[in-house]
Amino acid sequence: MDRWFLIAATLLAAAGGIWGMISVHRGKRSPWTLAWMFAVLLCQIGFLAVRGEMRSACPLMDRGEILAFLAWSLTLFYLLVGPAYRISLLGVFTAPVVAIFQLAALIPGTLTANPTKLAQGNPWHETHSAMSVLAYGALALAAVAGVMFLVLDRQLKEQHLKSGLFRNLPPVRELLISLERLLWLGTALLSVGIVAGFLMPRTAAAWGHFIAAIAVWAAYALLLAIKQVRGMTGRRLSLSAVVLFLLSLAVFAFV
Amino acid sequence: MELLCLGLNHRTAPVEVRERFAVGAPLLGKAANELVELAEAAEGVVVSTCNRTEFYLVAENAREAFGKIELRLAKKIQVDSSVATHFYRKEKTAAAQHLCRVVSGLDSMMLGETEIFGQVKQAYQAALEAGSTGAVLNRVFQRAFGIGKKVRTDTSIQEGSTSVGNVAVDLAEKIFGHLKNSEVMILGAGEMSRTTAQSLVSRGAKSIFVANRSFDRAQELATEMGGTALRFDDWQSVLQRVDVVISSTGAPHAIVHRADVEKARRARKYRPLFFIDIAVPRDIDPAVGEIEEVYLYDIDTLEQLAEEARTRRQLQIEQCERIIDLELEKLNLPGT
Repeated sequence: MDRWFLIAATLLAAAGGIWGMISVHRGKRSPWTLAWMFAVLLCQIGFLAVRGEMRSACPLMDRGEILAFLAWSLTLFYLLVGPAYRISLLGVFTAPVVAIFQLAALIPGTLTANPTKLAQGNPWHETHSAMSVLAYGALALAAVAGVMFLVLDRQLKEQHLKSGLFRNLPPVRELLISLERLLWLGTALLSVGIVAGFLMPRTAAAWGHFIAAIAVWAAYALLLAIKQVRGMTGRRLSLSAVVLFLLSLAVFAFV
Repeated sequence: MELLCLGLNHRTAPVEVRERFAVGAPLLGKAANELVELAEAAEGVVVSTCNRTEFYLVAENAREAFGKIELRLAKKIQVDSSVATHFYRKEKTAAAQHLCRVVSGLDSMMLGETEIFGQVKQAYQAALEAGSTGAVLNRVFQRAFGIGKKVRTDTSIQEGSTSVGNVAVDLAEKIFGHLKNSEVMILGAGEMSRTTAQSLVSRGAKSIFVANRSFDRAQELATEMGGTALRFDDWQSVLQRVDVVISSTGAPHAIVHRADVEKARRARKYRPLFFIDIAVPRDIDPAVGEIEEVYLYDIDTLEQLAEEARTRRQLQIEQCERIIDLELEKLNLPGT
């Protein structure tokens, strides 16, 4: 049952992404992106509920669950940010990333087939996992906004202004504001995750993961500090958000 | 009963003739009633904009109505009867088609412009309130508005800006979104920069700085636009706070160099900066455009974008007219 929810969420995200791209290519913005992504979120919640029931805990115990949780978090932040900033095109860029994360979770062996029930969970451990993955959702969306900025910046610089994509991309300043706010939100959530990580009982094997998480937090904190104090061009901020997010995925190698 | 339209526009009459027939917006209702009396018609609407004045009527006999109105109008406005050569006359379906073309912006000087839709709506509303419309004109106008909306939705007749000023403003909005938080600096108080800056102000630009070799002229333009005048040598000090720079001086060489902008970058915290260079020879060194956060557009690029939009609109005319014909056929309007 859990897999079917995830398969449905993946198909919906892929279809929503493709539909959105076709609309943008035709020079129109699909009014359905939000609805597609909401349906994706419902299927993701179904998956997480079933897995949570199986685990009797927050379903963040194997890589498949982490990827699915990350996809849920990304979808959730899109639904919170996209309509608020009227950046519906963010959904068109988010949907493929969600589909990729979920496809990776569906690769045989990634998701434990018969998850064991946890006899006794640790609240700090669960807070650490949930906050960290939520933070990754916000940081992933910041990377998506970064990609959108880089595309728009290139089109403006090279004066290629005829495409449907150009017409539908949100303004430069709005993209940069959303990107920066998402970075702040992601870093704040990551801070809570790391504090919880300090307080949870750790095995010796968990140290690698913990150090990697601190390195990721420090990198984002440094990026925000530079942006705040010295300032930074939109291109550098966007590139940094994309590269840092890709590098930060390495943290999961230590899970 | 027959629907008819008598009118003159920018293509058929020079401005000195058009202005004689122009009717101010507050007088449209009264004019519609007078029109009905003059033509001894059943219904009437007067549409009047800076580029056209048109009389839509419903009468028993179109030919008789045209004769009466031309003669009586010429007398009332005290113009020579030769003015009739400037009028076009449309009857029945042709009149309905013409109204749909007008509402859709196909008959406008700037093809596809949207303002005309509101102007015709205002004229109809005034006539409706004055009681000069009836069953025929009510149906014809309401249907024409529906068709006008369909033409604009189903085609790209209104897409893209067709003037240099509007292209520049659209680009500014693509960079900064709402312009209400944007500050603008004008270098050189020429006509082109004034028009472009006015477009930016009309879309909400927060403040304007004007720098000009002649300080008096800078003050004059700044006062006109509610901005601040600067001595020409002071423009660099303002660069760190503005978002858009419009340059149109008569200088024979570049006046904004890469080094000038580099100096202001740190103080600007590397925020996006949009340069619009509408001067010939160019005022802004092309190397300025190589700076990461700078978007530089010169007059050729802006003109090319405007020209492309005009061409795209021209290519849409046939499709728009097909929609109008199909819709009118379906509706079987009274008086046509």
